[in-house]
Amino acid sequence: MASLQQELPRMSRELCSRLLADLEKAKRPILYATKCSLDNANYNHKVGYLTPGSKKVATELNVSSVKKMSRAIFMLEILLSRIETGQVNTKRELYYIAKGYTKGDARMKALDFGDQDESDSTIDFICELMECYREDFNCYANDRGGQTYSQQLIVEETMPDGDKAVIELAKLGTAAFQPKNRPQSLKLKLKKKVDFCLIVESEGTANTLVTNGFTRRHDCILIGAQGVPSNAVRGWCKLIEDQLDVPMYFFGDLDAYTMQNIYRTLKAGSAASLIRNSDYSAPNVRFLGVLPEDIKKYDLLDYPVKENDAQEVRALKKAADALKNDPFFHDRRNKGVTQILKWLLEHKRRCEQQAYFTVDPRDPTMPEKIIIEKIKRGDYV
Amino acid sequence: MTPPSPSTSGSSKGSKAAAKAEEAAVKQAAQVAAASARPSSKKITTSSTAEYFSKNLQQVGFSSQTKAVLTTLKEAVDNALDACEDHGILPEVKVTVEKAGAGSLKNTDQIRIRVEDNGPGIEAEDAPKVFGEYLASSKFGRGRCSRGQQGIGISAATTWAQLTSATGAKVTTKTKRMRKALSATIEVDIKHNQGVVKSREMIDWNKEHGTTVEFLIDGRIQLNGEAGLLSYLNGTALVNPHLTLHYKVPELEWHTVERVTKELPEVPEATEPHPHTMKLGEFIAHSHLFGRIKVKDWLKRGFSRMNEGSLKDLHGAGIKNALLEKSVDAANEADFKALFMAIQNIQLMAPSTKSVLTIGEEALAKSIKRLGSVDFFAVVTRKPTICDFKPVEVEVAVARLEDRSIEADAPVQLLRFANRVPLQFDKSACAIAQAITSVNWRAYGLGQPKESMPQGPYIIAVSVVSPFIKFKNASKETIDASDELVEEIRRALIQAGQKLSKHIRKEEKANELEEKIRHIEQFGPILVEGLARISKASDARKLRAEEGLRKILGRDARATEQELKKASERLENQIAKDASVDASAEEEEDHESD
Repeated sequence: MASLQQELPRMSRELCSRLLADLEKAKRPILYATKCSLDNANYNHKVGYLTPGSKKVATELNVSSVKKMSRAIFMLEILLSRIETGQVNTKRELYYIAKGYTKGDARMKALDFGDQDESDSTIDFICELMECYREDFNCYANDRGGQTYSQQLIVEETMPDGDKAVIELAKLGTAAFQPKNRPQSLKLKLKKKVDFCLIVESEGTANTLVTNGFTRRHDCILIGAQGVPSNAVRGWCKLIEDQLDVPMYFFGDLDAYTMQNIYRTLKAGSAASLIRNSDYSAPNVRFLGVLPEDIKKYDLLDYPVKENDAQEVRALKKAADALKNDPFFHDRRNKGVTQILKWLLEHKRRCEQQAYFTVDPRDPTMPEKIIIEKIKRGDYV
Repeated sequence: MTPPSPSTSGSSKGSKAAAKAEEAAVKQAAQVAAASARPSSKKITTSSTAEYFSKNLQQVGFSSQTKAVLTTLKEAVDNALDACEDHGILPEVKVTVEKAGAGSLKNTDQIRIRVEDNGPGIEAEDAPKVFGEYLASSKFGRGRCSRGQQGIGISAATTWAQLTSATGAKVTTKTKRMRKALSATIEVDIKHNQGVVKSREMIDWNKEHGTTVEFLIDGRIQLNGEAGLLSYLNGTALVNPHLTLHYKVPELEWHTVERVTKELPEVPEATEPHPHTMKLGEFIAHSHLFGRIKVKDWLKRGFSRMNEGSLKDLHGAGIKNALLEKSVDAANEADFKALFMAIQNIQLMAPSTKSVLTIGEEALAKSIKRLGSVDFFAVVTRKPTICDFKPVEVEVAVARLEDRSIEADAPVQLLRFANRVPLQFDKSACAIAQAITSVNWRAYGLGQPKESMPQGPYIIAVSVVSPFIKFKNASKETIDASDELVEEIRRALIQAGQKLSKHIRKEEKANELEEKIRHIEQFGPILVEGLARISKASDARKLRAEEGLRKILGRDARATEQELKKASERLENQIAKDASVDASAEEEEDHESD
């Protein structure tokens, strides 16, 4: 990834020179960007994540697109200066930086972004054009989720100035380690071999498990995902998978949204980020539960999908679409997950991860026992 | 403010008689209604028509303080315009509405409403009838497209003034034959339904002929909005291109709307009633007007579209010749019923459409510009047609206002007219409003939420003219929405929308071109400079690229220019087509008059 960042100034120069050459010949320049949508997504279990197909979106320069192109070149210049100076910014900050350039300049005023959506989509357009991540331009999102607990894990971070920081997670007390979404600067080590890495959908439940002693009783890494995994969580899981070679399990709700938005994105990336799934997905993650059969086995409290809840109904509809169009669910290797999705569509029931707490209300470690039992028995898909 | 005297009415003998019969019927109905309105009285009494209306003024437009002002003004102006048209005078009307102090009712002002016209004037002996007697009208049921129909309105205004200010209508009037003008206060004798003249004098008036009427009433003035005075005055000007209107309303200076045509609208002759539009009772009452005359002659003379052929059909439908040869006054109820039912079942030609009045596209086009600065407009005059067995003429004018202070998502300004009188209340139930919401205006470039009025700085004016307009109520605020009428109005609106869309398309193309040119000028240099900076290109390359970019974008602009040209041509074709239609219509008229 670091190497791509070094390449970007040269690639940008070449792109701009090509556009300029076309213009000199009074020929309409055309920009090709990778199409980032499900219909251009491929999945191969050997690769492990969604990859872009051959579809490109062509933008030809004409009177209607000249504004879009001018804005892209304007933003590209700002982004290149991030690389040059090593500055780091969020998308929102870049929106304000762009505003700063157009402010008070009558000529540049034409480029002014009306709102952040406009500047965001310009940044996305540039990334699709250059086939890079916005992180390559030092544009980072807020590092939401991914709080990590472990008695064994040691993280070594190389600082921008070359200094090294060593963080021993066992010494953080009950506090969590929060990964940044620049995984390339982190190096992971283990004091002692761990048995597994558990990613829990609910941040709160992850915290409960740790407080009740989960990480003291088991040699493991425990991560709270906080809903749909952010780039930080996805990159962090990928790093753990690559550097530590431990079995990884995801524990979350049994519902359509979790299966195809949260779990699929963690395991294989998303269609919107096709060009960067290689660094932002952890293909080895397995779905530990809640499994449909767990409901019967542990007599879990489940309930029907509310027909009048727009969000739940939409998730079911999306799940039906996913079964039809998402190459991830078409792959034989993911049959287990696909069957769960089919089961959800058929029975229209859902069961939350916290339902494990109903099994024995007097025993606060019951969920922990079930999780460990499931891992030992290979009770996952 | 000069209603025509009964003697000057130009209607045929038959229909005048018909009018009298219907008048009698209405009087009777009013009396019955008045009697039943007081169930507590032990003795059943009859009361005069005036008594009935004085207690039920809300039925004829006096249901609120703001409406009282508008209705009074409306009745006075309607009468002025009708009188002028009947006498071939180009109307010039002067309107004053002002506050004269506090009203006697709670939360009201005393309002002075003065309407002066250059009409024929009223003979001294007719004045009390015109202003002080209900149902004394030259227009009742004549089957003509006059504004007033029954002779209720102006007397109701006098009554309202009497009830709220204890004074009647102050009238000054002079006909061509009079040397001095009559000045008098006229009140309604409510017990006897008679006009009473008070403080009568003859005065000098430097006017050849004309009438001024002044009412002092309790009410409240609403200037703006669809139910406002200004909407009424503008609307009246719009559908009366031949009218010069001066007006002074509170908060505004004197304002004059000049006439845009010197041609008086041709008020068509009245027609006999069509038997398919009648009810049995009306049918029988109609027979009383003809005295001793054979049934077959009555049928042929007293109705439109009844002829020898229809008599044969009647015979075929089982009506015996003996009945047709019988004298009308000898026929009994059973005879009439048999006859009436047979007529309903035979085929008759639809009523003639010659009795409807047309404003005309040309006059409307000129008139609409008087409403304010207008970007462009479209007018449509449909051919007279038959809806619900009544002749109807629908005309539509749609204009886009230059005033950009109107919010884009505000509904359009709607002006509704029935027999050239603005309708300002109870819009949603009206046939016109229903027709407008049924049209897909988005197809013509206007904004429109689903099943609602279109939006934007537009005026949509719809005029329905018919000798027999079916109103929903006596105060004439809403046209009854029959399917046939709504469809006819809808068609007119669609034609207007199609014409309008050509203007809008042309404008869109012009805007597009302008934006493209602006884009080229704005973004071209910035794009090339950015590219040159990033690629570290030489100035020479930059110049060449700028040149090239101008060429590329210039091609785009030229393509849009072509589209604009096409849109303009289409618009011009339409304008030319409209003009030729107008011309040929005029030729046709000339031909007819030859």
